[in-house]
Amino acid sequence: MSVETHGHVNPHHEHPDVVGSRNRLGLILLLVADIAFALGVIFVYFYLKGQNVNDMWLPKASDTQDATVPVSSMGAWYVTFIAAIGLLFHQYALAGVKLKNQTQLVLGSGLAFLASLVALIYQGILMNNASFTITMGAYASCYYLIAGLNVVHLFLTSFISLGNWNRSRLGLYVSDHWHVRIVSVWWTWMTISSLLGAFALSFT
Amino acid sequence: MSDLETQKRPSVFERKDVKQTVYLWVIFTAIIGYVAATVQARSMGAAASETMSTTIHMIRVFTWVVAPVAGLIAAMAATTLISKMHFGDTPPDEADHQIRNSPRATSTWLIVSSLLCLFAVVWGTIVLQRDNAAVLDLAAMNVNVTGQQWVWNFDYVDNGTVRSADLYLPVNKPVVFHVTSKDVIHSFWIVQMGIKIDANPGYVTETSVTPNKIGIYDIRCAELCGLYHAFMQTKVHVVSQADYAAWIKSQGGHA
Amino acid sequence: MTTMMDRPASAPGHSAPKKALIERLNIFTAFGLGIIGAIVFWYIAKAILPANTAGSYIKSNRDQWVLLAMIGWLIGFMTGIGAFIGPFRWLLGKDLSHEENLFYAGKDLGVKRYFRYTTDHKVVGIQYLVTTMVVFFVGGVLAMLIRTNLGHAGGGWLQPQTYNAIVGMHGIIMIVATIIMVTGPFGNFIMPIMIGARDMAFPRLNALSLWLIIAAIPCILSSIFLGGIPTGWVAYNPLASQGPPGQDGYIMFICIFALSTMVAGANITTTVIKMRAKGMTWNRTPIFIYGVVASVALALPAFPFFFLSQVLSAMDRATGSTFYDVRGGGSGWLYENLFWIMGHPEVYVILIPAVAALMEMAPVFTRRPLFSFNMAIMGIAGISGLSVLVWAHHMYTTGWAPLLNGPFMLTTELISIPTGLLFLVLIGTLWRGRLWMTMPTASIYALLWNFMIGGVTGIYLSDVPIDGALHGSMFVTAHFHYTLMGAGLTGAVASLVYWFPKMTGRMFDKTLSWIGFWFVQIGFNIAFIGMFLVGLAGQPRRVGSYAALFDQGNMITTGGAYLIMAGMLVFLYGVISSWTHGAKAPMNPWFAKTLEWTVPNPVPLENFDVLPVVTSDAYGYGKAQS
Repeated sequence: MSVETHGHVNPHHEHPDVVGSRNRLGLILLLVADIAFALGVIFVYFYLKGQNVNDMWLPKASDTQDATVPVSSMGAWYVTFIAAIGLLFHQYALAGVKLKNQTQLVLGSGLAFLASLVALIYQGILMNNASFTITMGAYASCYYLIAGLNVVHLFLTSFISLGNWNRSRLGLYVSDHWHVRIVSVWWTWMTISSLLGAFALSFT
Repeated sequence: MSDLETQKRPSVFERKDVKQTVYLWVIFTAIIGYVAATVQARSMGAAASETMSTTIHMIRVFTWVVAPVAGLIAAMAATTLISKMHFGDTPPDEADHQIRNSPRATSTWLIVSSLLCLFAVVWGTIVLQRDNAAVLDLAAMNVNVTGQQWVWNFDYVDNGTVRSADLYLPVNKPVVFHVTSKDVIHSFWIVQMGIKIDANPGYVTETSVTPNKIGIYDIRCAELCGLYHAFMQTKVHVVSQADYAAWIKSQGGHA
Repeated sequence: MTTMMDRPASAPGHSAPKKALIERLNIFTAFGLGIIGAIVFWYIAKAILPANTAGSYIKSNRDQWVLLAMIGWLIGFMTGIGAFIGPFRWLLGKDLSHEENLFYAGKDLGVKRYFRYTTDHKVVGIQYLVTTMVVFFVGGVLAMLIRTNLGHAGGGWLQPQTYNAIVGMHGIIMIVATIIMVTGPFGNFIMPIMIGARDMAFPRLNALSLWLIIAAIPCILSSIFLGGIPTGWVAYNPLASQGPPGQDGYIMFICIFALSTMVAGANITTTVIKMRAKGMTWNRTPIFIYGVVASVALALPAFPFFFLSQVLSAMDRATGSTFYDVRGGGSGWLYENLFWIMGHPEVYVILIPAVAALMEMAPVFTRRPLFSFNMAIMGIAGISGLSVLVWAHHMYTTGWAPLLNGPFMLTTELISIPTGLLFLVLIGTLWRGRLWMTMPTASIYALLWNFMIGGVTGIYLSDVPIDGALHGSMFVTAHFHYTLMGAGLTGAVASLVYWFPKMTGRMFDKTLSWIGFWFVQIGFNIAFIGMFLVGLAGQPRRVGSYAALFDQGNMITTGGAYLIMAGMLVFLYGVISSWTHGAKAPMNPWFAKTLEWTVPNPVPLENFDVLPVVTSDAYGYGKAQS
């Protein structure tokens, strides 16, 4: 990226605000694609639920296989809840950097990273503990799809918030902080996408 | 419509290039309309149902409706081509005007294309309603169609347990097909009757037609369905009511 | 293209004795690590994954191995090219220094920069151009195999399995080639200069989009050895779930390609919105820019659905889920919907930039202003807006929702209005212009002709009752070849001839461009009018052999196809010979007024020494009237 943060003499140096607004637009455009993907996942869930082809959305018990019992959607809501807490921590960090409060920035972004890790691990546990496997009907397939989307999102969030914490720690956000603001856009969307998944899973 | 200028000169239609364009427009419209409509109708062959006749008719009319538009564009392009060609490695003189817009031409164009579009939508919707209503016809006979790799099977559910691989239909009697598949998606297409509906595993889809000509016609699969897709075809025998009753009896069914 | 070497090195700092990691990575390390990654993942998958159990429907071990090996390939390849360096440097808080950024941009690297993760948009543009031509070549060979198979009475020279595999490969390869053919080479090389920018908004993402495509290509090519893609380019499930492991190549190809278009879409859109030169208001922005932005911005919401459809397909094959398998509550209509929600915007992703490029050339070669700039924008915007609402016209005959056929017929036919505006703009610009007869000028004529035929047949097909007769027949195949090839590819080849002087510093050989043009256009019309005729007569698509009734039409089509091939080979020879031996191009050979013609050949690293300030639009041709 044509980002210049170390103050080299560069005739093409651009103001951080210009670079920041450009990066924010870029992220929002990438999010358009990710939002389309997440909405597609929700569409898959409700389409297959509505079609209930061969009565196999939630298969009944057969000779070879137990009936598929849907899990409580509370697990998914807990993941969303943890993500939302992470988002709040990140907003706390953002407020800190705006106030030039380095301690608040480092603390907030560190806690946000921890929240993303907790959510990721918890989502993993949930998938492991489901009473059905992915092969047991359309609901089961969709459950793992939504959970999988959460895992991918949370993994990316962990990476981003780890970097954000590390860069805060190193004092890179002293001069300009557009990175932190952009990360908060991502956090917000990630929380909403998790909420969409939990919302869908509330209808079995 | 042939005028793309904003100037208010009274002599627009007396200008040489405009006149030439108008002549060419008439000629091109006639040629395009006649050739395209005739060739298409001829390629589609004889219709074996009202549905197919309508389709051929619609294509013919659409072609004639579009011909003036295509003819105009061809005429304007040809006029420019004939009079203003320049070869070489350096550009020709600049054009003798700087016209960037013409509200009159633009609005005419928009209105005409909107009307043509409206015409297509309205007519299409009317015919579509007729086709949709035909599926609900309770007096029609019912045939269950099952596609599987790579054969069709037909069950004459109104006539007992009769199953055949060639389709037999009585002439002039509406028939509703209930179509499904055992494996992958196929598409049930009676070519000369102009009807087509996919055979989906897990679902039953419906379409209907009234064959109106005795003869033997083609059924082809219109959705790639694997190795022998090209060979997944059979015949439909449209026969008289009496012959149909006789055939059903010979297959062990009741009329 | 090596004159960068001549320029004095302004930053001698990077001649340190120990080479940094980024200096060691190039296309060879990428392929090396990619192959290692594939092999490692293959063996790990074989060792760890349990043997397939009964009870799941589609899942098979070989699909698991193949998919994992391809994921290993992707990770290895992207590591080997250096795509992960940037993110990890960000993570560690060690942002790239100015010298490193210049190194990434290919400063003083000469010809080597074409073989590494170079961020300079001009290098990426050339890389895209070569990639596109390679992909077209493969797709073209497959097309000739198809036509040869169908070129004698009854067809059937190839085995059905082989034939089906070739049809699917040809389809998807050509679709991808046409998607990148304008926005890839010209959207990257020309667009930033045209708007007066020094580079793209996100140069590293630019390189990422290119190298993702290069990583994707071996996936689809490996399908040839894994049983091919015997499902057509749409790969409808449940047929695709029966397919050989070649389908996994298709799945990975699409997934990686969708990522690439997403990255490129965000990048190009941001560049245009945020980095236009001072004074370049939206009224002064060239129409080609609108075309490119509309195309890539349309891909942003559309391609994730393609991605999703293939993710589900991969899950069905590798994990035993049942999204598309009716025995487990899945639905083929789900696949068709996901596919076509992408599929219809996608054809405009292909078409719009090609038409916009010809609109850009029209004033140059008629020496008069573009007619009705506003209508051109409205046409592009109208098509883009409507195109996301029409997908189910591909599904009229599926029976998924008969009640929706009416509304979708309405939206589909509404598209004819903005499409008509594109014709208005082009014909209005030709009218009363001076025609400078070059191959791009002739291409405008060819576009009008081909796109008229493609558009009108599209109106037939958008009509539900007519579609009932023609859907799934060769008529449809001919129709979309007229739009995507007759209009799209014609525009792309004209763009190549038009921008060749700026991209390579040499003129495209005039004689060869004309010979190629006539061979391709004549052959094209012969081939696809023949195909219309057999379609009307009832020949289904994707059949390897056919009834005697269709013999004549198929002979005609095959004859035309060979003419196209001859013309394309002439073009290919023209590209190679002009690139190596062509006449040196002046700075502005076409006497055009857009900004890319104000920079010298070859274009210097950051395009402009001083950023331009724009005071008028680029269409001020013609003499003012007295």
